[in-house]
Amino acid sequence: MKQIVVHQEKCTACRECELACSFSHEGKFLPALSRIRVADFYEEQFYQPMVCVHCADAPCATVCPTMAIQRQPDGQVRVLADRCIGCKMCLLACPFGVMGFSPDTGVAHNCDLCDDNTPQCVEFCTPGALEYADVVSVEALAKQKAAAALGLPPAHGQSE
Amino acid sequence: MATKYVLIGNSAAALAAVDGIRKHDPAGEITLINREEGPAYSRVALPYYVAGEMTLEALLIRQKTDYTTMGVSLTETSNVTAIDPANKQVELESGQRVAYDKLLIGTGSETLVPPIRGLDQVPHHYLWTLDDAIGMKQAAEKASTAVVIGGGFIGMLAAEALRKLRIKLTIVEVAPILLPQLLDEGAGKLFLQAVRDDGVTVKTDSMVAGLEQTDAGITVSLKGGEALSVDMAVVATGVKPNIECLQNCAVEVNTGVLVDEYLQSSQPDIYAAGDVAETPDFLSDERSIYAIWPTAVEQGRVAGANMAGAQQAYPGSLGMNVVELFQVTLAQLGRFREGPEDEVKLLSPGTNGLYRKVVVDKEGSIVGAVYLGDENGVAEMGVIHGAIRRREKWQGFQNGRQPKFVYADVSHRVPQY
Repeated sequence: MKQIVVHQEKCTACRECELACSFSHEGKFLPALSRIRVADFYEEQFYQPMVCVHCADAPCATVCPTMAIQRQPDGQVRVLADRCIGCKMCLLACPFGVMGFSPDTGVAHNCDLCDDNTPQCVEFCTPGALEYADVVSVEALAKQKAAAALGLPPAHGQSE
Repeated sequence: MATKYVLIGNSAAALAAVDGIRKHDPAGEITLINREEGPAYSRVALPYYVAGEMTLEALLIRQKTDYTTMGVSLTETSNVTAIDPANKQVELESGQRVAYDKLLIGTGSETLVPPIRGLDQVPHHYLWTLDDAIGMKQAAEKASTAVVIGGGFIGMLAAEALRKLRIKLTIVEVAPILLPQLLDEGAGKLFLQAVRDDGVTVKTDSMVAGLEQTDAGITVSLKGGEALSVDMAVVATGVKPNIECLQNCAVEVNTGVLVDEYLQSSQPDIYAAGDVAETPDFLSDERSIYAIWPTAVEQGRVAGANMAGAQQAYPGSLGMNVVELFQVTLAQLGRFREGPEDEVKLLSPGTNGLYRKVVVDKEGSIVGAVYLGDENGVAEMGVIHGAIRRREKWQGFQNGRQPKFVYADVSHRVPQY
């Protein structure tokens, strides 16, 4: 499944992603309504974009009392707006803090990957910290990098 | 031969148990026995129905066809009157006996009837079952004033629903604050003020002594002598595990059905989950009942899996609650009221309508939190929730660029599709 992959080291906390997300979903340039958030640690110059990872065992879906959060056939964890009663239990359950709530509609939201179009946060990420990619291959790549850093040879059959 | 699973109940715990069973046993025969009629509905959504924001149809979380798809037979409007562990049978009100190989007690809880003089003579409403909600909605259409007896979670949800219908409210609560199961004193005071500012009369440290039907409506007498007249009375003084069918039965019971970490009762092949189960707790060695939807689902899944032969340990219940009432969002996690050895981190003291408190135990681990503020602040409580579940220390959480730790988790948690 393709989703938003974060390359934390490239993030400059410019917050273009937050603006792009809130504008494309809510029609407003309002970072508070963005489904992607940049956690900032300015003193350490450490910036971490946080966005829904569509967990395999999604706590938001487990706790939802109206079956409003359901896994889609493509793997996406999605809020069905017409079933959501706005109880916010999913916000309390998500350990990443990436469930959001729109006061205008009274409905919870997470990253919907912009309906399988090109996610707008990725489009507007100037430093290239966000990528729309297959997470399994990204994870494999990260493992290879980690192995290389330790001086280990690439595992048999693996290639860049 | 296919295993016969009998599940008493048809709500969060029993439905999650069906999922748990089906993960490990696609072929077993599953029977749900429920005392209410119809497919499952969401209890959590009932106040929204009363307020006129949802239709009856929208309350349903299962359609009749879903049971067929899952290979489950639903026996409606049937009360289980007795369980016979020796012969592995349950007895229904009709006298019919149903045999089981594995049994789940998921009967949930029922409303407590408070000892109020005249209560049985006066029409009054609970907000627990679908029938309750339908009755309350009908009464509310004709009422312009109401008393809500009990300012706990259900009482406040009922109050919020009636407020949306522009009914003038009086809330009577025995504790000095509203929602004592959810708020500490700090947040409680702020919330109480918000409710009073909305025009609601709140009698704290107060109890209803008696109710009386008069020509003008219902006269409510408070202990201490004060009296008021209202059109409608709502009773919400708590719930208790529904363990009626366990009388004269070898299954060990305290407040609820006592279960071990596999959610098995004192009898082999009998499990319990949800509001009726007294289970291991995440933060203490005592067994606990939180009577909340998330724990019912988590327990149901584990119990179901274990009924089907898995050996899943339940990590223990963690209290969690969130609610928006009177335009204020409130949330609570774990042990939010500090004990003598705990330390309090008051992140926001309550000025400008924001109150955030974290409780840290003597080992330095985060064990609880309270929140009062706007809607989106609850997301941060989610992060704290994760930290409590990982038994994270406050020191590391505060100084350790917390989201980075979260990010490290991601690589283990990405779905493999």
